[in-house]
Amino acid sequence: MKSIFTIAFFLISFAGFSQLKGVIYGKAVNETRKHLHNAKITSLITKEFVETDEHGVFEIILGKTLPDTLIFSTFGFRNDTLIVTNKDRFSIIEINLYENQILEELVISYKKTTHSISKLKTLHVEELGEGELRKAACCNLSESFETNASVDVNMTDAISGAKKIQMMGLDGVYTQIQMENIPYMRGLESAFGLGSMPGTWVESIQITKGTGNVVNGYESMAGLVNLELKKPQSMEKFYFNAYGNRFGRGELNSHGKLNVGKKWQTGLFGHASGLFSEVDNNKDGFRDIPMSKNASFLNRWNYSGKRMEAQMGVNAYYESKEGGQTGFSASRTPNLYGVTIENKHVDVFAKTGFLFEKKPYQSIGIVYNLKYQTTHAQFGKRIFNGEEKRGYINAIFDGIIGNTNHGIKGGLSFVFVDLTQKLDSLTLPRIEYVPGAFAEYTFKGLRFTGVVGARGDYHNLYGFQFSPRFHGKFSVTEKLDLRFTAGRGFRVPNVIIDNISLLATSRNWVIEKNIEAEVSWNLGGSIVQEFKFFRRKANISIDFYHTYFENQLIVDRDIDMNNFYFSNLTGKSYSNSFQTEISLPVLPRFDVRLAYKYLDVKAEYGGKMQQQVMIPTQRGFVNLAYKTRNKRWEYDATLSVYGKSRLHMVHFSPTEHSTDNMSKVYPILNAQITHVFKKWDFYIGGENLTNYKQKDALVDPQNPFGSYFDATRVWAPIQGVNVYVGVRWKLKSEKS
Amino acid sequence: MKTILIICIAFLGFSFKQDVKPQLVTIKTSAECGECKERIESKLNYTKGIVFSELDFKTQVLTVKFKPTKVTLEQIKQIVSDLGYDADDVKANVDAQKALPLCCQPHGMSK
Repeated sequence: MKSIFTIAFFLISFAGFSQLKGVIYGKAVNETRKHLHNAKITSLITKEFVETDEHGVFEIILGKTLPDTLIFSTFGFRNDTLIVTNKDRFSIIEINLYENQILEELVISYKKTTHSISKLKTLHVEELGEGELRKAACCNLSESFETNASVDVNMTDAISGAKKIQMMGLDGVYTQIQMENIPYMRGLESAFGLGSMPGTWVESIQITKGTGNVVNGYESMAGLVNLELKKPQSMEKFYFNAYGNRFGRGELNSHGKLNVGKKWQTGLFGHASGLFSEVDNNKDGFRDIPMSKNASFLNRWNYSGKRMEAQMGVNAYYESKEGGQTGFSASRTPNLYGVTIENKHVDVFAKTGFLFEKKPYQSIGIVYNLKYQTTHAQFGKRIFNGEEKRGYINAIFDGIIGNTNHGIKGGLSFVFVDLTQKLDSLTLPRIEYVPGAFAEYTFKGLRFTGVVGARGDYHNLYGFQFSPRFHGKFSVTEKLDLRFTAGRGFRVPNVIIDNISLLATSRNWVIEKNIEAEVSWNLGGSIVQEFKFFRRKANISIDFYHTYFENQLIVDRDIDMNNFYFSNLTGKSYSNSFQTEISLPVLPRFDVRLAYKYLDVKAEYGGKMQQQVMIPTQRGFVNLAYKTRNKRWEYDATLSVYGKSRLHMVHFSPTEHSTDNMSKVYPILNAQITHVFKKWDFYIGGENLTNYKQKDALVDPQNPFGSYFDATRVWAPIQGVNVYVGVRWKLKSEKS
Repeated sequence: MKTILIICIAFLGFSFKQDVKPQLVTIKTSAECGECKERIESKLNYTKGIVFSELDFKTQVLTVKFKPTKVTLEQIKQIVSDLGYDADDVKANVDAQKALPLCCQPHGMSK
C-alpha cells in the first residue's frame, strides 16, 4: 500500500512540469566562443526536440521518464550528450560544443514571429517583428504602432499633422526612444521625429513598459522603445518600395548591401517622399494634411573581426512641411495663416564591442553618438528656431561573478547637450554636461530572475540624480510568468519644443521662470499566461503600471481661456494604466488579438485634480490577421475604439464658450491585403475605413489671426478614408 | 468487386470535376529541417497550379494541393527532386543534393 502511495506521489510530481533551461555555445578553432543559433536539443526517450533561439538559449520540457539523455547537435560542431535526472529539473545549464575537424558551415535561420512577449526576458518586452510591421505598410514609425495596443499615436494639432506617441497615457517625451540602444528622438526631434524614420528601414521594435535598464540611461520614465534597423549582416541584398495614397502622398524607399572584403559589410538606405497637392476635404479653408517634402539617407557599416566587432553609420535627414490655409505659401502669401516646419539632422553613430578570448562571458561595449539638428517652425506669426548639438558616449562592461547565474554590468556614460530654443523674442539656451556611472546585477535562478541596478548622474544644472531600478520575473509554472518593475527616471523638459503644437492657437504662453527637471517613479507588474488553444499557442496578459511624478512640467490649459500656463508641479500628478490583452489563434493561420486599456492620468489642472486633456480613459482594440496556406495572401484588419477624453474649454465669442468639453467615442478601422510573389509584394490598404471625421477640429477657422482660433482641440482624424497601394521588390541575399 | 466499383465511381467523379477540383496529395521526402521547409515551400508555393504546399519536417511528409490541369504530381515530384530531396519514388537530383547546406543533406540532422 505504502509503495503504491509512493508511486502515486512520484507520478504526480513527475506529471507536473519539469523544465530545463540553458545556453549553447560553440567554440570553433581559432575563434571565440559564441552563442549557437538553432542548435537542436533532442530527448533520447521522447524524441521531442527544441531549437535554440538567436542567443543560443533554449527551454525544454523534460519527459515523464527521468533520467533522460539530451543530445545537443548542430552542424559543424561535434554532438554532445547530457544525462538529466530528476534533480536537474528547473536548472540552467551551459553547453559548449566544439567544432568538427572539418570546418563545416553553420546555417543560421530564425523563425519570424510577428508579435510576442518574450518569455526569457526579465523585463516585460513586447516584440514587434517584421511581419507585424508589414501589417501597416505606410510609412514611418507613427504607423508602425498602429497594430499595437500598448503604444498610442496621437495627432498633436490639426494643422502641422505631427504625431506623437503615448505610453500609459503619458506624452511621448516620457518614453525613451532608442535606435539600437543609441538615444534617438530626443530634444528637438521629440516633436516631429516620428516621421523621420522610414518604416521599411526598421527590422523590429521592442517595447518595454516601465523604466528600462540603467544601462540605457536615466530618461525612461514611462517606457522604453528600441528600434532595430536592418543590418548589413542580415538584410536583403536589394530592396525597393513605392507607395502612393489617395491624397497624393508618394513615397520611395530603397536599400541594399555590399560586402567589402571578408570582414566589412555595408548597407545603404535611401528614402524620399512628398505630398504635393492640397487636400481640404472638410472645406474649412485649411489643409487637412500639410504639403511636405522629405528625404533621408543612411549608410551603415559592420565590421566583425576576431576579438572586435564594430558598427558605425551616418544618417542625414531633411523635412519640410507647409500646412495652414489653402493657398498658403511661406514666401508669397503673408496674409494667410500658415504653418511651416523645417527639420534637419545629421547623426553619426558607432558601436564597438571587444571580446575576451579566454573569458567568453565577458565583453566591453562602447556606444558613441554625435548629432546636430535644427528645427524651424512657424505657426502663423509665431516663429520658433531651435538648434541642438549632442554628444553621447556610453561604455558598458558585461561579465559574470563566479558563474553565469550571477551577471554583472557596469559602466560610465557622458552626455553633452547644447540646445537653444528661440520663440519670437524669447531665447532659452541650455548647455548640459552629464557624467554618469551605473551598475547592474542580474541573478538567474531556477524560477526567479532579478535585475537590480542603479545609476548616478551628475547634471551640471540639476545636480546629482540617483536612479535605482528593479526588475524581477518569477515563473510560477512553465507557462505562467509574473513580472514586477520599479524605478526612478528623470529628464530635463524642453519647454517650447515639447509643446510646440500648442503654438497653433491664439492663446498666450505663460511660462514660469525656473522650470525644474522632471522626476518620476514608476512601478508595475504583469502576468503572462500561455496556453494551448486547439494545440496552437495562445496567450493572455494583464499588466498594471503606476507612474508618480515628484516633479513635472505641468501645462495647464484650464485656468483661463486666454493662456496656457507652464509651471512646475505643485500638487500631485500620476498615471495609472491597466491593460489586458489576449492573443488567440482561432484557426490555423488566423490570429485574433483583443486588448482593452484603462487610463487614469490625473494632475491638478485649473485648480482641481482631473484627467489630462486628450487622454481617452478607455480604449478597445481588435486585430485580425489571416494568412493563406500557401503564405501568398495576407489579410489584416485592426479596429480601435477610443473612449471619451476631456477637452479644454474654448471661447467662441466674448460671451460664448464651449459647453461640451468631452470628445466622443469613435472607431478607427484599418485594413490591408498583401499579395506575395517570389520577389514582389503588392499591397493595398485602407485607413480610417469607417470614415470618422472630427467636424470641429478647428475653432474659428475663419479668423485664424483672431483671438478665438484654436487648432489644438483635435482628438480624431480630420481626413476621411484613406486608400493606399504599394509595391515591394526584394532580392534576398544568397544563402551560403 | 464492391471496392472496384467505388474506385470506378471515384475515377468518374474525378474525370468530371478534374478541371475544378484541386487534388490533395502527400509526398514522403528526405527533407528534415526548417531550412528544407523554407526551400521546398517557397519554391512550390510560387509554382503555377499549386494551391499550397506544407512540409512537416518531423515526419518528412509534404502535403501539396494542386490543380491537375496545370501541374501534374510527377512534375511536383520532379521539382522536389531538383531541389535536392527525394520525393516518394523519385530520387533526389544528386548535384542539387550536394549543393544543399549540411543540415539538408540526407540524415543531416542526426549527423
